[in-house]
Amino acid sequence: MAIRANPKLIEELEPYGAEDVMKCYHCGNCSAVCPFSADPYVFPRKPMRYLQMGLEEKLEGQLDPWLCYYCGECSDQCPRDAEPGETMMSLRRWLTSRYDWTGISRLFYRSWRWELLAILLVAVITAVAFTLFGMSQGSLSDYDGPNAFLPSSAIHIFDWVLAAVLLAFLLSNAARMWWFTMGRDKDLPKSPGSYISSAWMLPAHFLTQMRYSQCEHKGPWVTHLALMLSYCVMLVLIMFFLAEMASGPSVDWRVHVLGYLATAGLVVSSILFLRNRMKKSAAQYRHSHESDWIFLSLILAVALTGILQHILHRTGLDAAANVTYIVHLALVVPMLALEVPFSKWSHLAYRPLAIYLAQVRATALARARRGDGKQQPSAEQAAPLRTA
Amino acid sequence: MRIGVYICRASAETGGGANLESVGHYAANLPQVEVVRSLGLLPRLDPEALADEIVASDLDRIVIAGDSPGFFKPAFTRAMALALRAPEEVRLASFREHGVSGDGATERAKAITACAVFGVPFTLAARPKDTKWTAAALVIGGGIAGIQAALEIADGGKKVYLVERTGTIGGHMAMFDKTFPTLDCAACILTPKMVAVGQHEMIDLLSYSEVESISGVPGSYRATVLRHARRVDEDACVACGICSDVCPVRVPSEFDAGIAERKAVYIPFPQAVPNAYLVDEASCTYVQTNGQKCGACAKKCPKECIDLDARGDVLQLEVGSVIVATGYEVLDASSLDRYGYGVHPNVLTALEFERLTNASGPTGGHIVTKSLKHNKRKKVDEWVFDPEGASPKSVAIIHCVGSRDTNHNAYCSRVCCMYSLKFAHLVKEKLPDAACYEFYIDMRAFGKGYEAFFERIQDEGTFIVRGRSATVTERDGQMMVKGEDILSDSVVEFPVDMVLLAVGLVPADRSDELARMLGIPRDDYGWFTEADYNGDPTGTERGGVFVAGVCQGPKDIPDTVAQASAVAARALEGAMTGRGLQSLASLSLSDIEARAKSLVPAS
Repeated sequence: MAIRANPKLIEELEPYGAEDVMKCYHCGNCSAVCPFSADPYVFPRKPMRYLQMGLEEKLEGQLDPWLCYYCGECSDQCPRDAEPGETMMSLRRWLTSRYDWTGISRLFYRSWRWELLAILLVAVITAVAFTLFGMSQGSLSDYDGPNAFLPSSAIHIFDWVLAAVLLAFLLSNAARMWWFTMGRDKDLPKSPGSYISSAWMLPAHFLTQMRYSQCEHKGPWVTHLALMLSYCVMLVLIMFFLAEMASGPSVDWRVHVLGYLATAGLVVSSILFLRNRMKKSAAQYRHSHESDWIFLSLILAVALTGILQHILHRTGLDAAANVTYIVHLALVVPMLALEVPFSKWSHLAYRPLAIYLAQVRATALARARRGDGKQQPSAEQAAPLRTA
Repeated sequence: MRIGVYICRASAETGGGANLESVGHYAANLPQVEVVRSLGLLPRLDPEALADEIVASDLDRIVIAGDSPGFFKPAFTRAMALALRAPEEVRLASFREHGVSGDGATERAKAITACAVFGVPFTLAARPKDTKWTAAALVIGGGIAGIQAALEIADGGKKVYLVERTGTIGGHMAMFDKTFPTLDCAACILTPKMVAVGQHEMIDLLSYSEVESISGVPGSYRATVLRHARRVDEDACVACGICSDVCPVRVPSEFDAGIAERKAVYIPFPQAVPNAYLVDEASCTYVQTNGQKCGACAKKCPKECIDLDARGDVLQLEVGSVIVATGYEVLDASSLDRYGYGVHPNVLTALEFERLTNASGPTGGHIVTKSLKHNKRKKVDEWVFDPEGASPKSVAIIHCVGSRDTNHNAYCSRVCCMYSLKFAHLVKEKLPDAACYEFYIDMRAFGKGYEAFFERIQDEGTFIVRGRSATVTERDGQMMVKGEDILSDSVVEFPVDMVLLAVGLVPADRSDELARMLGIPRDDYGWFTEADYNGDPTGTERGGVFVAGVCQGPKDIPDTVAQASAVAARALEGAMTGRGLQSLASLSLSDIEARAKSLVPAS
């Protein structure tokens, strides 16, 4: 089958951050120094080649960009300053916009003005709506109790509705990712068994990011894991224990401790990432896309308003706490509604999914190569994702 | 005639420091120039839009000014054709090609632009006045380039002073085992030429000497040459070697690229010219202790020709031409830590392998891996080459080490692909059972017979991997070479016993000093800049100063010899006629402008 090339692809990738791809002369240095590059996922040189050639469909079907954690080794050693690491990063942004069927992600990544405008719009709507809602049924001077301005029961319902909508977007995008990378690949041998045998990887990689930990420098992995775990803990607390969190002096100590830990994690790790990006301290922080700044600033702002709200509530300044709550919600809602399905935060789903699908694919290919779908693959073939 | 001048920039550095705005103003004031436009960096030229402009301004001639303006010529030629004008009236004002750089860059750029506006070749208009010429020539550097140039001038009957920094002429070529692609023995080609230099009555060979300063004008330069104290009488020494036998000092041998040792009183190699020993003052105990200790060689010398207290000498030379042939050095491989040079004992640079495989080298030409030996004097264990050592079972050769790499040398060193293929041949010839891997990025087999040589190496069973190897590591005492095999889209890793690094070439040490002394520019990488890339590749900005060999830019032996012969012809031109051209710099902008005007063909 002939492959259709898009000669403009490389220009289309520019807004996503890929600027130096054409400098690459394919020496293969990057693929060889990459600790993750191993058969059948040899990168970053091959995706760079697809990009230079404009092989859009092939690129869409690549899992490779998600297998890269941008340790920066390839960019540091690149003899042409072609920035392969940054190319992989921008491919992740581009893939995110491809998986997203609404086109919102594409709009955000190509224009930070649109992203900011959308965040602002959602924030204003949220603030106005919650203010009107609060005034309609409670008093601004009451934080909890029967007359509460924003009763946790109502917020709880809102949370679940929001979560359901987001999940619908995220899952439909993830399904498209599966279709691009696995479903529509006719050459890929069918191997339902490997979906099951590798299923453990999905939660395992989501929770531990163990693949990231194989990079030479452990710092970024620790910070990243702290940010992600803090976020998850906070999410669980809010989704299941919101009532306990807001109920005054009688807060359960477990909720208390976990909440403080998660808050500290969010603040510290987002500040660390922001600082690294400002100082451009390593290859992976040298180039920052606008979406990176927006994402990190938003997290930090959410965490800080949450802390302020907590302090005000605890010191009995209920009216101020309620105002801060409105601001907090006006930041949380766009962060969740826009960043999770359409922007940088979506990688929390795509990355573990890609690692899982990559394993499924590799296993299927290995089984087909041996011409036998029944036998257990040897350790070598079954574990192609290990470090070379 | 109505003329349009377009200033185009192919890179941010266009103009080599010239003020392009000032060039534009100057061009606008030239006769018949109607339009001057400065285009942005790497403009995307649309011939149809240009044609509209040409028609609107009614232009008959277009001048494209900038570095390598030919890059933009096709679009303008097409535009002229679309505008129904004569397409041949697209003239180029080539800045870089005509030496626009450094001081006077703007003036030069203006002159080049003026010539293009007048439709006169720059080289014709910018011809310096001639002046009287001293016949003798000074050649700096005694490698193959300097030897060839000196011999040809001397054979032409004119006096040559050949100044060589080390104790012998021969340069790097003397170290080589074989030449590519013919696999001739390098010494068999070089040593007869060296002997001829040593015996030629028209050549004054000043070895172990350095040019300290040069003054004067083209055609009559005065050079001050510092003759270091050899401390052995060059004429009396019969190279019996007794002095060396008794010398207690051992230091790494430069000629053997550091893989063997020499004494403090030594002869670089048995066929050295002049064939005499010399004392290395940096390592000689007697010299270092101001005569307090040692002195054994002087006492034992049967010809009594060693004077350890000898002092250097200064020589004044009157010459017409100066030929620079200072060659190169190889890149310091330890600056690339991923290949483990200096860490793994059997990672060798190209020059080290040349000496290892050379029959006159420390192992007699046996390709062996290093053995751990106890050094009794230093009381340490050292990795050394021992002729009885084990042969490697597999050898990896890594191309482009530090070459085509923005972190080291951005340029291609031109010789490494071919010498690497030669290494593969030598390994296969001497160790037919050894596996040999070549890691390359692009195979640059550009010369006569080179492609056939490449095919021959492939036929000999060398594994040729397209992909620059990334790392050399050691795992359980086994060296591993890893790289991407691009043609099979997979990462490969081979166990090897020896790694050869095809290190790139860098300008010789202290060529910056020499450039300042001679008043000739160097390019971004330190190679001496020729006067005109295409038209005058041997001349320089300074009249009577010529460049030959690798010091002008990496090149192989055939190209070096050819350029050296060309340089000899240039020097003989002045020596034979007694007249020669002054420096280009002696011409002012108005001189060139006036001459260009006078050369405009009458229409």
